[in-house]
Parts: sequence; structure tokens; C-alpha cells
Amino acid sequence: MSEEILKALTQLFAIISKQDGGVSDNERGFALNFFQQELEKSAVEEYLNLYDSISGYHEQTGKHVDDRSNQPTSVKDSIRTLAICKKINKTLTQKQKVVVLIKIVELVSSDKQFTNQRMEIVNAVSTVFNILQEEYRLIESFVVSEKVSSLDFADILIADAGNEKSAPLQKHLHAHVDGHLVFLHVSSVEMYFVKYLGKDANNLNGFIMKPGRVYLFSQGSIIKTPDGGALYYSDLIADFNEEIQTIKLSFKATIEEFTFRNGVVGLRDVKINEGPGKLIGIMGASGAGKTTLLNILAGLEKPGKGSIKINGFDIHTDKNKVEGVIGYVAQDDLLIEELTVYQNLYYNAKLCFAKVPESEIQERVMKVLRDLGLDHRKDLKVGSILDKQISGGQRKRLNIALELIREPAILFLDEPTSGLSSRDSENVVDLLKELSLKGKLIFVVIHQPSSDIYKMFDKMVIMDTGGYPTFYGNPVRAITYFKKATNQVDSNRGQCEVCGNVNPEQIFNIIEARVVDEYGQPTNKRKVTPMQWHEMFKSQFKPSAVEDTREEPPKTLQLPSRLKQTIIFTTRNFLSKISNRQYLLINLLEAPLLAILLAFIIKYKSAPDGKEYIFRYNENLPAFMLMAIIVALFMGLTVSAEEIIRDRKILKRESFLNLSWSSYLFSKLAILFLLSAIQTFTFIAIGNWILEIQGMTWSFWLILFTTSCFANVLGLNISAAFNSAVTVYILIPLLLIPQMILSGVIFDFDKLNDVLSTKGKVPVVADMMTSRWAYEAMAVHQFRNNEYQKGYYDYEREESRADFKSAYLADELKNRNQFLIDNLQSKNDSIQKLISINNHILYIELINEPFKEGIAQLNLKDVFVGAGYSKEIGKQLESYFDIYKKHYQQEYNINAALIEKKMSFYEQQGFDIQREKNEFFNESLSDLVRNISTKERIMEYNGQLVQNINPVFQSPKPKNTFDYRTAFFFPEKNFLGITMTTFSFNLIVIWIMTLLLYLTLYFELLRRFVDIFEKVNLPVKK
Amino acid sequence: MRLITIGIVVFLLGSCSSGKKPDEQAFLESLDSTNTAGPGVDEEVINSILEQIPSPIEISMLLKESGSKYNETILNSSNNLPKYNSNYKKALNLGVYGTDLGYTNIFGRNQDGIKYISSIKSLADELNIGQFFDIATIGRLATNSKNLDSLLLITTMNFNQINHYLQSQSRDNLSVLLLTGGWLEAMQITCQTAAKNPDNAELIETIGEQKIILEQIMLLFTFYQGDENMAGLSADLDALKKAYDKININYTYKESTMEIIDGVAVIKDNSTTTIDITKENIEEIKNIIDQIRTKVIS
Repeated sequence: MSEEILKALTQLFAIISKQDGGVSDNERGFALNFFQQELEKSAVEEYLNLYDSISGYHEQTGKHVDDRSNQPTSVKDSIRTLAICKKINKTLTQKQKVVVLIKIVELVSSDKQFTNQRMEIVNAVSTVFNILQEEYRLIESFVVSEKVSSLDFADILIADAGNEKSAPLQKHLHAHVDGHLVFLHVSSVEMYFVKYLGKDANNLNGFIMKPGRVYLFSQGSIIKTPDGGALYYSDLIADFNEEIQTIKLSFKATIEEFTFRNGVVGLRDVKINEGPGKLIGIMGASGAGKTTLLNILAGLEKPGKGSIKINGFDIHTDKNKVEGVIGYVAQDDLLIEELTVYQNLYYNAKLCFAKVPESEIQERVMKVLRDLGLDHRKDLKVGSILDKQISGGQRKRLNIALELIREPAILFLDEPTSGLSSRDSENVVDLLKELSLKGKLIFVVIHQPSSDIYKMFDKMVIMDTGGYPTFYGNPVRAITYFKKATNQVDSNRGQCEVCGNVNPEQIFNIIEARVVDEYGQPTNKRKVTPMQWHEMFKSQFKPSAVEDTREEPPKTLQLPSRLKQTIIFTTRNFLSKISNRQYLLINLLEAPLLAILLAFIIKYKSAPDGKEYIFRYNENLPAFMLMAIIVALFMGLTVSAEEIIRDRKILKRESFLNLSWSSYLFSKLAILFLLSAIQTFTFIAIGNWILEIQGMTWSFWLILFTTSCFANVLGLNISAAFNSAVTVYILIPLLLIPQMILSGVIFDFDKLNDVLSTKGKVPVVADMMTSRWAYEAMAVHQFRNNEYQKGYYDYEREESRADFKSAYLADELKNRNQFLIDNLQSKNDSIQKLISINNHILYIELINEPFKEGIAQLNLKDVFVGAGYSKEIGKQLESYFDIYKKHYQQEYNINAALIEKKMSFYEQQGFDIQREKNEFFNESLSDLVRNISTKERIMEYNGQLVQNINPVFQSPKPKNTFDYRTAFFFPEKNFLGITMTTFSFNLIVIWIMTLLLYLTLYFELLRRFVDIFEKVNLPVKK
Repeated sequence: MRLITIGIVVFLLGSCSSGKKPDEQAFLESLDSTNTAGPGVDEEVINSILEQIPSPIEISMLLKESGSKYNETILNSSNNLPKYNSNYKKALNLGVYGTDLGYTNIFGRNQDGIKYISSIKSLADELNIGQFFDIATIGRLATNSKNLDSLLLITTMNFNQINHYLQSQSRDNLSVLLLTGGWLEAMQITCQTAAKNPDNAELIETIGEQKIILEQIMLLFTFYQGDENMAGLSADLDALKKAYDKININYTYKESTMEIIDGVAVIKDNSTTTIDITKENIEEIKNIIDQIRTKVIS
């Protein structure tokens, strides 16, 4: 209390006691007592003098006592009183003012002179102090009354030996007290006062209570009766609080033994039973399993042997019954750093309260912010640890606010005060205390609490190394318990007699005290082992029983529908993305920059005369297309790879809400797909523009977008499966390089390891690569549908088919037929083998051949599969192949002529064919998709003839309805009897792959797999 | 998802609206009843005529022997490649480039030769006769300048194979064009060289001798009058023929005699051929050839 205030109070005291005939000795004694409490001895005299001079103590000694009652209050005194009160008003908190008011009433009552003037002044003081009239009356009655029965208020609690209330409204507590202990609850400031009416020497926090005197009953206070009974602050509060009494909540944790994955025992024999309205601390040496205990209690981990039950519902087996009941605040910040304080809270609230109207949500958010003193910081970005925008304490409070807003019945906090200043710590714990007073059950892991904080807890769980519980009960008692256990001198005193401070450190000094060797050096051996402490604890404490309710626990959670959740998640996600300028800028600029870089570098004077750029002769086009796909994959992966990891903590918190995982994923996908769409579009639009690739922007974009979406989902998969961003980024090459190797562009599919490759078909391993599907779609689409080629493709296709048959196949088949004729009689095994191969090949080729002039009557099956082949048939076939060749030569010529005609037709229509070809057609790509460079245009592989040349003009020949496989660059694909263009088919394939990856993401298959992998690879070591 | 849908819609619209070209139907309707089948000429006939046309190499050899200098400006630049889009042009210029390749070969201009090989390969691929060029082998040979001789030799030999192949594939029109192109280019080179060496009798004689070849080529072209392009070229060749008509070739027959030289019997042809050709004739031929060739290579 400042000098100024004390002076003001002294004056106030003096003015009041001066009224109605002046100061009585009682009053002066009260004032003296007060000064002695507040001041040093030397200063007491000074203040007493001040008191005396104002009250006129010395002047009145000779006056008669009778004329006291009728003197009116002098105007001077009234004005003085008002002035003093206003002064006090400006400097004291409401709580302090309540204390002052009580002191004043006490002063008056000390002499029992309740005259009008005095009471008027006191009343005036209470009005100036803004204390409600009703509350004033309550306070007055509490201080003045000496009879319990006259105190008929809801905010009065009487503790006595009786079993009945003495007035209908007041509350009652049965206790072994001589007389009555009267408790007052001043609800406007949430303060408690106590007064003793009786004769015993009761003890409040180690001090003798004078009967009739009013004491502040502060947090953590204990009243001890001479016969050893104790009344704890927390118990009384619970009795006062009607709210708590109506809450049906029981929390029962029984953990017999909990072992970590590596086999180390983390916790043993922990039993916790609690009801509503308690603030429970968990303390322990480092490594004692505090956080483990908290995580198990919160249901984040399964308790091994044992169970955690809320109102009788196991939190692991009856998940839906306890949904939303638990709140968890981890030690780390679980904030979305890119959002503002308000946004963090707002979206969290949106996810919790589906049915609350928008305006009320905003109101609630603001209320919580106000309650936590964050309202003036609401529009600041949370910022990262490195880029701090709000202070550590504010962050912490915001973390708590996120849980508070939905008001879970049970709240768990892991070291909420770590890293905070002592003031911030106190604020945070104050807040928790307040919540517990509203009926919440709160568990807090706390480390090195200050005395004040320590005393605020209703109960303390103290853990020792190895997961042994060594204490579970009142915090101040903990100190005496451990002192007693080690036979210390002042073992009855929990707190300092003078200042009321406790020293929680003492506990650990005692628990961990070490044996000292003969040289006085502490050894590594502990005096009392954790196990011994635990045994001692078990023998002395029995967990209190808590009423077991079988009702569903109270909850305020109303989850929105999945769609709404998706929308909320997406909005939140979107806002956080756009508020991160760096992220946004890099992501939006990355694609165009890469496009400019790539396209600029590979654009050269490609015309044969080297004088200008002609798209047709740009030999870099095939490589550009591959790079575009790699870029799409890379951007897709990098943009998504960190998404879930970054959110992991937030997810941990939100796991208590049981929000929809798919909504969360959809929101991620929505944002990522949007980003991919923009990125791929800017990339390909700029790339195509620079390289003058015309008419392909949308189709290329669709391919790249699809590819990028695939990469997004792949990235989310690894992001969901691994723990750190570094791991994920190390993984990216592992995912991307196979995509390059097996894209079919860098390495020819026909020149891969024989184990992998199938001649004439894309290898199955490559079919798992998106790059291969995307590239094929892109290349084939560009070749087939460019403005130039479009007009001739069908004719060229026919031409190519006819050319292959007449120029290669005819001779090939003829030779094989000749071989059959020549070796008709041979019995040689190796020749027989060749004969059967040739039979097979001829059969396959002829059965599918539409042109059968001259052999229409032959039963091919009989001839080649059965043993119907004869020399005559051989000769017949020989001449057939001559006609066959002629036929297809003619076919070729017809188509070649048609192409010529079409060209001249277009020319007549005014189209410049050469210009068109230069602009739309690319020679290198054409060479690639036509596989011009192949040496073997036709080859035998696995008893079949394979056409290597012109894949882009071929048609798929499926073996069965599921056979989708073709060689690279086929223009069409066949599946389930449906023929699709390669463009559509490949896009569908990539989308199916994306969908499959989404499913593995949804079921977190990769994470489970990684978990198994980790278990296998970490052998148990003890 | 909405964005994707919009994307697809825009894409579809985009792909629909670009149809500025007349559609397939219009083309099919434009096809008149003219038969698209081959000329139906007997292969044997064509072959016998084709075989009489001298290989471009032979002409080039003559040039070298004449002592003239290498002049790349008289050749068809390989940069003209983008201009050849129809089979007609491709085949003609394949022949032209073949001759140019031989010319560079004879003068040992290997660097220029490589360019022609690449153009030839490109045209051949488009004509579906690329199999005669093993690009891997060519590439390997091309990495070492010492191999260039063999590289050129291979390419030249391939030319002969292509000719035969085209004939066997009933694509003799291409074969005719290929040879015509080669011949035209050889004529062009010879004429240009002759213009610079007016005193070289042998060159002039060679130009004169081509009268016979031209007649045979024109004979071949009569089989392909149904083909618009070939008919057009044939008309151009008619103008050349008119110029050649002013030249007389006199052939005096004398019985052959047999002589013993170094103990070996040798039959000696005693017939003589004299060609009446003036400088004006040469000039005229040169100009017409130049016109035709310009048309062909552009």
C-alpha cells in the first residue's frame, strides 16, 4: 500500500471515528492495530499522530459523552471524505477498495457505534467506490453481525459442527469447529473473507485467528482447527459455487503401468480421481513423466495398462461420448502464424459452434480476447518465433484462448508458463484459476512455480523419476508432508510465517536429496529412492472417491457439417496463405520465372539457315515438354510437402474436436489445386508464348495441372507420414528422379534392363510414373492435334500402316512362310521350335488381317494351330503375300496421293502450308513420336512381331479387355473395350493415381507403414 | 473443383472455335472422280528408261576433271529444306540434294556434305524411305572427319538403293522425280560450270549429250500426265526440249575392230558422235534449266 493511500485511509478512519462524539478507545485501538499490521514500528507513531490530529482524539478527552448522537456531520468533513475517496478510487483496484471498505466497516463496528452520521459516511464511501448497494449491505451485515442466523445471504457460508443451516439462503458446511466460521463471497471481485465467531485458537495460514476479526481468505489458504482438522480454500470455493455443484463431471484415471515404445516404463501406478472445478498441478523432476502423464490423461496416448474415464466413459473406447469434452494446450504454440490473433480464434470458434449465429461467434471471440487482455492486439499477426509480433505471454494466452473459447469441461495444459515472465505466468494461472472456479477441471504441468502460483492450485500431483507418483493432494500440505517425512525441524509450517510464501523448490530438494560421503561430497545415490517415496505415498494417501456420474459429460461443441468444415478450413487456409507475402510471392513468381528461364535459354535460331527462330526446327521441344512436367511435379511436391507437417501441432489440438479429416484434406487440396492451377497456367502460358507453341496452351495446361495435382497429393502423403520438413525435402529427389528416369524421354523404354522392359510395350514400372503418362499425352496430343498435322493425320496414319505392311511385314511373313515350306519335313528339335514360333506369328498376323484375298477359304486355326500346314498351302500363302504386298502398296499410294491432294486443296483455299508447318509442326517431336531413329523397324519378341517404327500411327491391339498396355506414343489406348485417345486416357490414369493417393492419405497408410518401419528398426535397448 | 470445370469448359470452347480451316467434308467433296490409282505403267519399261539416265556422280566426276573450282553458290542450299512439304517437292529435291552431295563429295567439301546428308535423311524419312539411312551409323561416322569419305560413299550408294526400292514399291513416280531432280541439278551445275569455262569442249559436249536423256525423261513423264505437278514439270521440260531441238547429234557408225594389245584382245568401237552446238544454244539451255530448277527448289 502506498504512503499516499495509507494517508488517505488514515484520514478516512479519523473522519469516521470523529463523528458522533469523537473517537473511542476501541476505534483508536483498531486503527493502531491496522497501522501495526501495515507499517514498521517507527512509522506507526507518525500515522497514529495523523489519525489523532484529524479525529481530535486529544481534544475530546474532557468532553461529555452524551452529546455525541446529535451533532451533524460537518460540511468540511463530508467534502474531505469525498476528496479522499476519489483519490483512492484513482489508485486502488476494485479488490483493494473492497478490502478498504471492509476495514472501514470493521472500524465502525469495533466500537459498535452505528450512528447515522457514521453509517452515512461509510455508505457514501461505498457509493464512491462503486460498490453495489446490495453488496455493501452484505458486507456490512457480514462484518457487523455476531449472530449466524441473521446472515441470510446466498454469498455467506457457515462452517460449524452443526448439520443444519441457520438461515434459508446461506450455505453450510459441516466441520469440526467450535463456534462458527463465517465466509463471505464478494462476487463482483471474486474475493473471499472469513470471520471466526467462537473461542478456539483456529489457525489461518499458520496465524491465530482473532475471534470477530475479518480476514481475507486468499487463494491457497488453509484454516486449521486445534484438533487438526483443515479447511482448504479450494473446498470452500467449490461449496460456494453453485455452478460447480450442478456440473456432473467425474474424471478417473487409473494407470497401472505405461511403457514407451522402446520398452522403458514411463509411468507406474498413477490414480487420479477428480470432480469439477479443480485446478490440478503436475510437478516433477525432469524425466519424471509429467508430460507423459498429461498426454495420457488427455487421451493423446493410450494408457497401456489402465483406463481413463470421464463420467464412466472410457476416452478411448467411447470416443463419441466424450467428444469435445477435453481441451489440450501443448507446450508449443499451436497457432497459425500467418493469421491475426482474432482470425486464429475466430476460425477455431467457427469450427466449434455450428449453430451459433455469426454475430454471437464474433461476440464470443471478442469476449475471450477481452478476458485475456488480448483485445487491443487482435489485429496483429501472430508471427513466428523469429518474427515476433506479439509477446510470448500473449502467444501463450492466445493458445489458451483457443481452448477456452469452446469451454471444454476438462482442460490440459503442458507448461503454460514456461518462457513467460513471472507477471505473465501469474496472469495465465490466474485465468486458469478463474476457469476452475467456473467448474472446469484443469490439469497443468508446471515447472518451478512461484509461491503465489503454487498456492493457487487446488491439488498437486508430484512425480518422481521413473514415473512414480509421490504426492497427490493439497499443495501446501505437500511441503509439510515431505518435511515431515525427512524429520525436518519446522515440519508443521508449510509457508513462511511472516510473508505467507511457500517454497516449492524445497520439495524437490527433499525428494532428490543425495547421500553424502565421508568427505562431505554428495554422491550419486539418493537418500530416498523414487520407489521408496512411492511406497510411503501409497501407505499414507488413499485417493478420494469421486461421485461417479454415468451422464454424458457436459459439452458445448457443435461441429459443423463436413462441407461447412471444408469451407471454414479452406477460408482459414486461404487467409493464412495470402497473408504470408513471401510464400505467396515465391509461389506465384516461381512458375513464370522458371518458364522464362527455361524457354529463353532453349530458344535459338533454329531455322536451317540459322537466321531466325522457327518452331518447326526447335530441337529442344521434346526436352522442354519433359522439363515442363518435371517443373509441374516439383512445384506440386514442394508446395504441398510441408503442408501437414506445419499443421501437425494444430491438428493435434484439433484432434480433440474430432473434426473431419476429409474436410481438412479437402481444404488443403482446394488451396493446393488452386495454386497448382495458377502455377501451371502461368508456366505453360509463358513457356508456350516464348517458344511460340501455338494452340496448345489449354491442353498442355490441363496435363500439367493434372500432374501438379498428383504431386500435391503425393506431397501431402509424405507430409502426413514424416515428422520433419527436412525428411520430406530429402525425400523429394527420391520421388522425382524415378519420374525422370522412367519418363521414357531420357532413357528409351526399349533400352532398359531386361528385367524391367517389355519390347514393344511401356514397362510396367514406368506405368507407375506420372511423368510417363503426362509426357505421352503431351507429345501425342501436340503431334496429332496441331493445326498443321490435324488435317493429314488420318491419311498419314493409313499411309504409314500400308507402308509398314507392304515394305516390312509382307517380306517378313513371306520369309517365315518360306521357312515353314523348307523345313516341313524336319525333325530337328530346334527347328521344330522355330516352326512353332513361325506358325504362331503367321497365325496371329493373318487372323487379324482384314485383307484376305486368295486365302479367304483357309481355316487359319487349322493350318497354324492344328497340323494342317502343307506345301500346297505354303505355296498358296506365298502367292497371297505377293498380292498382299501389292495391295498395300496401292493403299499406300492412294493415301499418299490424298495427302498431296489435301495439301493442294488447302493451298487453293488460301492457306500457306509451309507457314503452317513452320508454326505448328515440330520436326524433333515428330521424329520422337514416330521413332524414326530405330534400327529395327520390325522385330520378333516373345513369339510376336513388334512394329517399332511409327508408334504414333499405330493402333492398340489389346490381348484382353484389361490390357491397356501399348508402346510409348500410341495415339489411342484401349481399356475394357473402350478406345480412348491417349490424351484423355492418360489424364484419366493420372487422376486415378491421384485418387488412390488421396485414399492412402485419408487412411494415412504411409504413416502407418512408416510407423511399422520405425518399430522394426529400433531394437529395444535398456 | 469449380476452377477445373471452368478450365475444361474454356478448353473445350477454345478447341472448338479454332476451326478456321475447311473441314474434311469440304475436302472430300472437292475430290473429283479422277482416279487416284497409279499410272499403270509397266515397271519394266520405266526401269529400262531409268537405267539409262546417268547417275549424278558421273556428271560430277566430269566437272572435277574439267579442273573447275568448287562453287557452293550453284548448289541448292540445304536451308531450303522447310519449303518442301509435298511428296512431289520432297522427291525432286531429294534428287537435287543427292547431286549436291555428290558434288561436295568430289571436291572433298565434307562439311557441306554433312548438311546435305542431314537434309537427305530428313526428306527420306518423310517419304517413308528413311530406312536406307542408318542415322546411328551416319552419326558415328560424322564424329570423325576421317570417316567422311566412307560416309559420303554410303549415302551415295543408298541413293541407288532408294531408286530400286521405290520402283519395287510401285512408287515409281517418286523414283522418276528423284532422278529428274538429280539430273536437273547435274545439268544446272554443268551449265554453270560451262558458262565459266567456255572453252571446255568436254563440258559442252556433255550438255549436248543430254538431249537424249531429256527425251527419255520426257517419255517417262508422259506416263504421269494425270498428276498435276508432274504434268506441270513436263510442260516446263517441253521448253527445254525446244531448245535442245536446235542441236543436232550426228552418229556415224563404223564397224568395230579387234586389236591385240599386250596379248589381250580388245574390241575397239570405231563409231563417232558429233554434236552441233553453239554458244547461244548453251546459253539458252542454261537459262531454261535455271528457270526450271529455280521452280523446283523453291
